[in-house]
Amino acid sequence: MEQVYAQALFKMVEGGMEPKKAVTAVRERLIAEGREGLMSRIARAFSHIAQREMQKSGLVLTLAREKDSHAAHKEAKKFLDEMGASAKDLTTRIDETQTGGWRLEGREHLIDASYKKYLLSLYARATNS
Amino acid sequence: MDSTTVEKILKEIEKFAPAAESEHVGRVTAVGDGVVAIDGLSKAVLSEIVMFEEGKGKKLADAMSAEAELYGLILNLEEDGVRATILGDTARVSEGMTVKSTGKILSVPSSEELLGRVVNALGEPQDGKGPFKKTTLMPVERQAAGVIYRKGVSVPLATGTKAIDAMIPIGRGQRELIIGDRGTGKTTVAIDAIINQKYEPEETRPICIYVAIGQKESKTARIAQQLREQGAMDYTIIVDAPASAPAALQYLAPFSGVAIGEYFMDKGKDVLIVYDDLSKQATAYRQLSLLLRRPPGREAYPGDVFYLHSRLLERACRLSEEKGGGSITALPIIETQEGDVSGYIPTNVISITDGQMFLVTDLFNKGIRPAIDVGISVSRVGSAAQTKAMKAVAGGIKLELAQFRELEAFMQFASDLDKATADRIESGRRMVEVLKQKNGAPIPLERQVAALYAASHAFFLDVPVGKVTEVEGLLMDFLDGQYAKTLAAIRKSGQLSEDDKKELNKAMEEFRLAHSEMFSQ
Repeated sequence: MEQVYAQALFKMVEGGMEPKKAVTAVRERLIAEGREGLMSRIARAFSHIAQREMQKSGLVLTLAREKDSHAAHKEAKKFLDEMGASAKDLTTRIDETQTGGWRLEGREHLIDASYKKYLLSLYARATNS
Repeated sequence: MDSTTVEKILKEIEKFAPAAESEHVGRVTAVGDGVVAIDGLSKAVLSEIVMFEEGKGKKLADAMSAEAELYGLILNLEEDGVRATILGDTARVSEGMTVKSTGKILSVPSSEELLGRVVNALGEPQDGKGPFKKTTLMPVERQAAGVIYRKGVSVPLATGTKAIDAMIPIGRGQRELIIGDRGTGKTTVAIDAIINQKYEPEETRPICIYVAIGQKESKTARIAQQLREQGAMDYTIIVDAPASAPAALQYLAPFSGVAIGEYFMDKGKDVLIVYDDLSKQATAYRQLSLLLRRPPGREAYPGDVFYLHSRLLERACRLSEEKGGGSITALPIIETQEGDVSGYIPTNVISITDGQMFLVTDLFNKGIRPAIDVGISVSRVGSAAQTKAMKAVAGGIKLELAQFRELEAFMQFASDLDKATADRIESGRRMVEVLKQKNGAPIPLERQVAALYAASHAFFLDVPVGKVTEVEGLLMDFLDGQYAKTLAAIRKSGQLSEDDKKELNKAMEEFRLAHSEMFSQ
């Protein structure tokens, strides 16, 4: 139940309504329906939805080493343009297990140009043949 | 490996710039009981295969030592994500895991290499005989052949069971339900039908597929062993989704089986497929549906449980000559509870199939095996496919048995019976004995015809009821030895000519003279 209210609240705010107004509208509705007790659960569900939406729109560039940053940004630019994003939207992370290369993930896209992926596919080909 | 070589390899790797391609992905938000909720994958389609990325964050060596890739099957498309079932070990999936879209609909490998093998619901070998070399991928979900591509059922499929071939004949392309309580011999009837195909000429012999759904591994192993010993495994494929397999695989197994069958049907071959059993598949589908939060309906089954079975069984058909003339004959099995055939799943499957054979506990306990209740068993299209020889001898058996059952009930209250009634009862008793058959011993057509011809010509009337089976066996041995040509002629022509009848009459007379002590009554 709280999911539905949280979803409605999120859509109201996303649609341009002031957060304070939106919360008041939802609260009034809950009072009218005798469901005021749901408010705290709606808040939790709302934060989950917001977090999920942020993850959906966020982009993560993962590198194996700090020094690869410049080259990776340059190579990833083409894909960022395709996604309608810019370098400002990027969060950079370091993952040494990648061995080398870079990996861009977010907005339902994954561009994996890491050495690890290449080596794993090489290993799979070598062991399966 | 010396240090310079290692250096060189490392330099090669340093220089390497892998081609980057964009993949469509989602993220696991919840996982449990074989079902995952995935955020994203907004372009995914129903029944699409997705791949779980297990290597992320793991060291290269650990990622390399991981098991084979883990896949999932999308079953629900929702507003903000999808729900999929895991086609493997649920413990390997964790929250936050990246899930890649493959753009492929679930398919299973199929080829002649699968003959004699045991595979799982994904077509992966389970018998330790190694991988398949060359296969064709067949879609697990495929639209059944349309009306204009179909042909009527007209070619018989001999099951080797006298009671079936005589009274409930099955044709190639038919769907005949085997229904009954547990322990009434449903699987035996189906397995005997598979074994009996060894008597068919190789060029027209159907490829047999046995789909074990939710069965004990020991039972499936026993069946595989039995088929191997009887030489039936050469033309048989076993698709195994045991009780220990995830519900998703039990739900998929029949579809995988028919997809493998379609490979052979498309090549113009005949296929016999046994689904053992669809009650367990329905239960697995109910489990999946409830976990996928689909609204439950009657007996908590989802609303589309009828469609689950209808779309599966519609794929069994006989194709027209333009389409190669192949066929799939389906023998689905349904287990009833306490003989209740009015349950949800039994009535669904009864209405979908072209007939059903009921196996009854009472008959089984009386020693009448196969325990088929011929009074309520029917074959709606099979009579068009029955051989003329069988039609000639089996015509009145069903009526005779029905009358016998009625009189048998009446006999319990009446002590004085007129001669006609007593004769009918005696004849009925002997007919019941003739229709009895050992399991794992299907009988070729010509021997069935000979036995039923003898029974319908009062040959056993002077034989004590308890000795009918023995006399029948001796008569068959006698015919095999002395009248092999007549039997061969019946088999070849599929007809019972006047000459054949004369020969059989002669044989029966000779046998009676030679074994007069057995006709003492």
